[in-house]
Amino acid sequence: MEVKVLFFGVLAEISGTGIKHYKDVKSISELKLRIYDDFPEIAHYNFRISINSEITDADLFLKSGDEIAFMPPFAGG
Amino acid sequence: MINGPVSQTLISEFIAKMERKTDSGGHMIFLGQVRADEINGKLVRAIEYSAYSELVNIEAEKIINSILSEFDDVRSVDIIHSKGIVNAGGISLLVFVSAGHRLQAVQACSKAVELIKENLPVWKKEILEDDSHLWK
Repeated sequence: MEVKVLFFGVLAEISGTGIKHYKDVKSISELKLRIYDDFPEIAHYNFRISINSEITDADLFLKSGDEIAFMPPFAGG
Repeated sequence: MINGPVSQTLISEFIAKMERKTDSGGHMIFLGQVRADEINGKLVRAIEYSAYSELVNIEAEKIINSILSEFDDVRSVDIIHSKGIVNAGGISLLVFVSAGHRLQAVQACSKAVELIKENLPVWKKEILEDDSHLWK
């Protein structure tokens, strides 16, 4: 299974990419650990997560094809 | 969203459309401009906006629906937000509210701008005059 992770704002800069794919990851908490492994600095930032365009705080299970966005605090307007 | 600044032409188009809105007695336009703030002795020369496009559209629609249900005299709400680079002095946000009467036009426009700032998944990178940048 594979999910697509989108990084925005300063997190895109830290990760050096806007998009990264992760294979065989079961849940949001597991995904975070894998991301912190790849990009330790991200752990120091506040962010919200959305799964398939729905913002969530829950530690949900992931399925193949899910699109997960890591979003720092919004700064629009 | 549009690429780059909100142009004077686009602003004029909204103003031109007012004539047809004969059920409206008041219109409120908010224009958000990029300010040349001074940060650590350097001026901001531009802001680069990025956004989560799919979610921006969903959230913009929620904002508009929320305004329409809170303010029963409001006839329409339009939101245009820039993405990409907008130089200092450029317009990066347009909110246009038409209402039957002036009170709700003013209140709804103000509320819409607050909701945009809270809920639109948009990010700003301030580009300083020496080309260094800061995330807002």
